[in-house]
Amino acid sequence: MIVHVTTWHGELVQVRVATEEQTDSAASTSEAATSAPNPIAPEPKELLWGAGSFLVFLVLMRLYMFPKIKKGMDARYNGIREDLEQADATRLAAKSDVVAYEAALVGVRAEAAARVDKARQTLDQERTALMADATARNGAKRQAAEAEISAARVAVRDQVAAAVASVTERTAQLAVGKKPDASVVAQAVQQAMQTGGRS
Amino acid sequence: MMSNVIAFEFPPINELLRWKDVWAAGSLNKVGLIAVASALIGIFVFMSAANKNPKVAPTGTRNLAEVAVEFIEDNIIMQTMGRDGLGWTPFLLTLFVFIYLCNLPGIIPLLQMPATARMAIPMFLAVLVWVIFNFSGIKHQGFFTYFKNVLFPPGVPKALYILVTPIEFISTLIVRPFSMAVRLFANMLAGHLLLVIFALLSEALLQARDKILIPVGILPLFMLLFLTAFEVLVGFLQAYIFTILAAVYIAGATHPEH
Amino acid sequence: MEALARIAKVAAAAGASAADAKNNAAAGSAGFAYGLAAIGPGIGIGLIFGSAIESMARQPESAGMVRTTMFLGIAFTEALALIGFVVFILLKYA
Repeated sequence: MIVHVTTWHGELVQVRVATEEQTDSAASTSEAATSAPNPIAPEPKELLWGAGSFLVFLVLMRLYMFPKIKKGMDARYNGIREDLEQADATRLAAKSDVVAYEAALVGVRAEAAARVDKARQTLDQERTALMADATARNGAKRQAAEAEISAARVAVRDQVAAAVASVTERTAQLAVGKKPDASVVAQAVQQAMQTGGRS
Repeated sequence: MMSNVIAFEFPPINELLRWKDVWAAGSLNKVGLIAVASALIGIFVFMSAANKNPKVAPTGTRNLAEVAVEFIEDNIIMQTMGRDGLGWTPFLLTLFVFIYLCNLPGIIPLLQMPATARMAIPMFLAVLVWVIFNFSGIKHQGFFTYFKNVLFPPGVPKALYILVTPIEFISTLIVRPFSMAVRLFANMLAGHLLLVIFALLSEALLQARDKILIPVGILPLFMLLFLTAFEVLVGFLQAYIFTILAAVYIAGATHPEH
Repeated sequence: MEALARIAKVAAAAGASAADAKNNAAAGSAGFAYGLAAIGPGIGIGLIFGSAIESMARQPESAGMVRTTMFLGIAFTEALALIGFVVFILLKYA
């Protein structure tokens, strides 16, 4: 058993009663606490190994690995950039093609419209001309027909008048026994025909 | 009987960090092995990526390597150094990959030790970055111009130089490498210690003699899982921050006007 | 009983001699110092994150630049806390 007594008696006095075993362990611990190497101090062998491996790594990285990796990365990035630029150029070309095509399309469309308009105009002109012609021809035909009709009517009337006059003359000759004056008969017939037929 | 939990003994820190030598005394220990393995894995991945056909769409290691290269170029160099800094890509890429691969074993089961949780590797890398940014500053501006720009920053009233110059000297030439090394080392060490604490605590609780304590062990176990996920983030972030600080320092040394 | 023995073992280890008493005090003050060292950076990182989120929400197009600068700011601020952590270990072991 351990009895650990600490008393204040003017100055610090420590009395320790311990068995053999505890004394040993206490002594070793206190020795470790005072004479053990500082845990912060660097150990030469760790320093050497760490420095050596770092420097080897650094030299290899600097001289071989990094330049090669960087070269590959740059090459690939440049490739990608070139591809992108190419794609951009292609896109631009396609865009300008589209613009040109659209301009051509507009031109063609305008031309077509103009042509259609022109054709329509010509057609209209032709139609009006034709229609005017036809109307004129119709009119002429109608006039001719009307003239023919009136002529025919006049002729028919004359014939009728002549027939009626001759009949009347004959009749009057038969009735009176003397041949009437032709002009008087004709006048009378004419009068009768104009007033008669209705009355 | 909570007492067997109170009496939980944390192992001495050296037991968690100092590893036995693999072969002879002073030859190679676990941290050195992890560093060597990190470099070998990095070399393997980038070597196999370099030997793949660059024309086809990248797959596997090539994809990994190209993502890493683009990450360094877009997220670190272009943000801090601009287009002029693209020549630094191999150095910063190696720095990032090496630190990340050294951080990763902290969360890989069975390995469970980040190589950067020991001071040696962060210190070496910070000193290397210090040497490089000073050399590139001297090379770009000339010895005297560079130190004049560092110690007597332009645009400061003459009387203030008595105050500014010592501050600039300490902050640029002493605190920079120190804080870089300590930042990486302390972050990884703290993460490692947290994982150890919660792993030991959950083990102690899950194997407690009091059966009532066993369910309580679930809590540190969940904390352990959460911290492991957190360490995934921290491992990446610390590699990123170390690299971006190196980029900022180099950019500041080569272009003093910024 | 066994647990008591363990506590006693730890206590005995800590209180072995006057040098150990100094060690003991160093350990205590180291923990205290780390707690103090974590306050400022904690507030600082909170401020940085808050401002970064605000500016990212205000101008999402500049989110990449803000994020980079935010990580840089966090790295510089966090260094203080981490130096506190290292000093904590140094005090305990040096």
